[in-house]
Amino acid sequence: MSTPSKRSPERYDAVIIGAGMAGCATARALTMADPERRRRILVIDRHRGVSPRFAGEYIHPRGAQILEDLGFYGPLMAAGAVDVDGFTVLERADGRYVELPYAEIRGQRPRGIAVHHKTLVRVMRAVIREEPQVDLWEGFVIKELLRGDEGAIRGVVLEGDEGPRTILTDLLIGADGKASAVRKLLGLPDERQTIGFTVGIEIRDAAVGLPSFANVILGAWGPVLVYPIAREEDGRTLFRMTMDLPHSLPAKGARLADFLFDAFIPFLPSALAEQAAAAILGHRGHLEMAPTVNLPAPRAAFPGVALVGDAAGCSHPITASGMTMGLRDAETLGEEARRRARAPEGEPWLTSANLRRYRNEHDRYVPTRQALADAIYEAFRGGNEGARAIQRALFEYWESGPEARRRSMALLSCAEGRPRVFLSEYLKTARHALETSLVPRHAQHFPVRDRLRQVRGAVGLATTKLGLVADVMWAQVRPAWLPRD
Amino acid sequence: MIDGIRVADGAGESRLEAAIRSATRAAGEWRRRALDPERPWLVGVADVGVACEVILADRLFRDLSAAEHAGLIAWIRASQQPSGAWLDPQTQSPDLSLTSLGWWACVQAGDDPASERMVKALRVVHELGGAQRASFSVRLWLAIAGHIPWGWLPAVPSEIWLLPPSSVLSPSRVCPWARGLLTPYLLLTRAPARIHLSDARPLLLTRGREMIPPRITRDGLVGDLVQNFDTAIKILRKMPRGPLLRASLGRAQTWLAHAQQSHGGWFSARPTLLSLLALRVAGASFDDPRIRRGLGYLRHARGLTRPPLTSASDPPHLGQGLTSPPLAVIARLTRAASGDEGAIPWLLAQELTEPGEWQFRTNAAVGGWPGEAGARHHLDIDATCAVLETLATLPKDSSQRGPAWAAMRRAIEVLLAMQEPDGTFARYERGESNVWMTQAPWRDAELMADASASGEARVQRSARALRQLARMGWRADDDRVARTMRWLEGHVERDISRDSVETLAALGRCAADLCAPDQPLRRAVERHLRGRQREDGSFGTVTATADALEALIALEGRPCVQAVRAARHLVGRIEGEGDALPGATIAGHGFSPCVYDPSAGIRDAALALRAFAERGGEL
Repeated sequence: MSTPSKRSPERYDAVIIGAGMAGCATARALTMADPERRRRILVIDRHRGVSPRFAGEYIHPRGAQILEDLGFYGPLMAAGAVDVDGFTVLERADGRYVELPYAEIRGQRPRGIAVHHKTLVRVMRAVIREEPQVDLWEGFVIKELLRGDEGAIRGVVLEGDEGPRTILTDLLIGADGKASAVRKLLGLPDERQTIGFTVGIEIRDAAVGLPSFANVILGAWGPVLVYPIAREEDGRTLFRMTMDLPHSLPAKGARLADFLFDAFIPFLPSALAEQAAAAILGHRGHLEMAPTVNLPAPRAAFPGVALVGDAAGCSHPITASGMTMGLRDAETLGEEARRRARAPEGEPWLTSANLRRYRNEHDRYVPTRQALADAIYEAFRGGNEGARAIQRALFEYWESGPEARRRSMALLSCAEGRPRVFLSEYLKTARHALETSLVPRHAQHFPVRDRLRQVRGAVGLATTKLGLVADVMWAQVRPAWLPRD
Repeated sequence: MIDGIRVADGAGESRLEAAIRSATRAAGEWRRRALDPERPWLVGVADVGVACEVILADRLFRDLSAAEHAGLIAWIRASQQPSGAWLDPQTQSPDLSLTSLGWWACVQAGDDPASERMVKALRVVHELGGAQRASFSVRLWLAIAGHIPWGWLPAVPSEIWLLPPSSVLSPSRVCPWARGLLTPYLLLTRAPARIHLSDARPLLLTRGREMIPPRITRDGLVGDLVQNFDTAIKILRKMPRGPLLRASLGRAQTWLAHAQQSHGGWFSARPTLLSLLALRVAGASFDDPRIRRGLGYLRHARGLTRPPLTSASDPPHLGQGLTSPPLAVIARLTRAASGDEGAIPWLLAQELTEPGEWQFRTNAAVGGWPGEAGARHHLDIDATCAVLETLATLPKDSSQRGPAWAAMRRAIEVLLAMQEPDGTFARYERGESNVWMTQAPWRDAELMADASASGEARVQRSARALRQLARMGWRADDDRVARTMRWLEGHVERDISRDSVETLAALGRCAADLCAPDQPLRRAVERHLRGRQREDGSFGTVTATADALEALIALEGRPCVQAVRAARHLVGRIEGEGDALPGATIAGHGFSPCVYDPSAGIRDAALALRAFAERGGEL
């Protein structure tokens, strides 16, 4: 690790913008792909220390495996990270309840990992600081891209406290999150759509049925998610509770706490509600809040540039797959870098072919994840007849047997990517949606008109999702040789 | 008499604070009175009709004590006008049915039919067309007494009790009040029932020696055809029908047995009275627990009251209520008597925990609140909204918050499920506003639907329900909320100029919680509401002024000039009249479509002035 020196311009084999989870993992993957330590990697971040805003903290087993492969898992566990076992979904505080454990998914590690975001970033930065090939500069932002004659990246201009710095490089990696400056400098249109906001509070020893699971609780305006984020020295467990707010915030500032109190707390199971109420009432200052953004996956690779993590597409965090996707991006880039580990001096580390392969792979798993996250969020929100039908259908389907739960969880946790599994899950859910729309749970003589309205909603939603399903299927089966834009 | 403060006490307390303290105390006193187990006061005072029927039915049950009998009769007598008539409480005009029943109850109690006031009453009945033109209820009693043939009452085919509840002709498709009346009526007509009552034949108009038969159907060609249809049914009834008839009567008896609630009654007083008669006709003895519990319910629904326009110093009479104290009123009184957290467990204990017929067409688990304590079979959305509003004012650190949250959560589920396809909210059962049988050309057919489910009551209910949803986080991005919003917008476009201040206030409070300040619905409602203020600062009645004040505060944030003027008016009324502020009418059932709530004025004034003060309002 080093601090920026006075000499300029310097040359690095790779410059990573953003020292968050995706940036650190990519840096580590690149260093592991360079066993002879011939390469120099620069990682920069705008924040000294960690970003004040809370962000992703829950990582599926696929991502946990990558963290272990990259050497982060041990330090994270030592810093208080928690092994996690899957998801539970509660239809309402006193409604149906489903467990979706990772352990039932064959062929992958049985546990994921959850960790306080600030701890995660702090530990990962500490790990990459130990790498002799890596320089980590904090308090820097990217200002400009330097391009060669053919339009490929040849360097960047960074801005820090001591003024601008020019860095020469053949490989720029944008890992600077959903509001990526790299994406903007590349001239990509900003297609982010703010879905709403997520408020996060911390609760000690939350009263949830399975403390090592992420617990989704439905019934309020938006889903509530409760998951462990830290093992504390006194043996207690710190949990994160996130609550989804609409895009047009119904309350701001101090009144936000009142709104959460009225609109979310009553919909939690009683013991958890008491804890959450105490946490909100006892909170000083503004509550932690982050926007939830949907960013349809942009092109993830350009000549000399790769986008990773949220910079390369993000969706609602309800499926907790964003971090795992970022780690997969890092892993994929690492594999491409490994292919070029013995590239002659003076040649770019990653060629256009490497970056194309990275993009092909990225485009296979990201659309599936985004489609699932969108659909699950819409269903869990239940804002229209179709979404409520899908929500009912999911519970019916999950209650139909362990195989149904296993297949759904494999898709949700990014362990399954086969198109036929995706398609069959879609069709089964659609079938259950039709059935549950026709047969009410409580009303013995539910009017036919109401049943038909529910069916129309379910069919309408299923129809609108058909295009999405087709996109996902195409992304999975698309031949790699077919030219892209 | 509740002590009221007439002026500020001069001990540093402002006029506003003194008025709030006085009104809050009066509301607390009304709540205590309403729930007094020894001598409860009515906070839902019905017309005398049901009391008259209780007097007549006591000829069979012999249940009223001498004091109860005397109390009820005194109330009936005190309610008679100098003209001899008993008035329709809504129109304040002489009412044929009430006058017929009043005359008959007084005669039954021993009054001299030749006395001046009884003769006057009889004259009113004859001027209005005779008792045969009175309501179904009066004709039923006349038939039970043997004064008119049973054929003067509409024929209801017993086979409809065999229809599935989804059928439009099934009794389950009519409002619960009408179902509670129709079922015992079937059993009474089949028996037929007979009670020896004092002679009421003078109430009937005759042509020569013959009584003039009433027209059972509405006027017009369809009515004529149906009159023949009615005759055909009556002829068919006389034919042997064997197992079909037995099965339908058996179904009706089973329903009657199951429909008795934990408080002993069937929905409300009139259905209870008829059900008790039907049970007796079916062979139940006086000692039958069902009879005893039913009579106990009627007793519980009685309370002290003063007839309108009587002095506060006059002794109260015993009145027969339609139900025991309405839960919606008790919930509002609890909110008005602020700081009384001890009342919350009682409210929570009234939550519905048993499945009921309201779930036939409502896809929701059990929850919400009934119209009165102990009415375990019937949901009431008005009461549910009132209780939700009271629970929402619980302090954040209240010891009751846990159970309150759970009850609120269940109630919201029920509320959402009670939405009709057009976006409005049903009161008792889904589909009650669209009862097919009200289209039938029989007289009284409109009673098959609850009057409180339509008109302005429907607008107010939908606005209140939407407001409760908004308070619990729902917004217009939910299709159910959007549907109600669209319906309300349509109503505002068409009918807002005809809306009462109470309706405008309900719409205003809903819009304040749900709409941005520049939304057309909110602006239209606010404009019309502001335009209703009078020179003296009031918006009409005390309750209208209180409602409008609360709505203005919700819409404005900080009290505006109009709000200050309304508050000044209320404070002045409290200083001048204390707890004797006039009440308001609330929804009743069937033949008594409205009842009088004497606590409404002081209660609503307390709530409005407190909201005014909390927002920094000063006189």
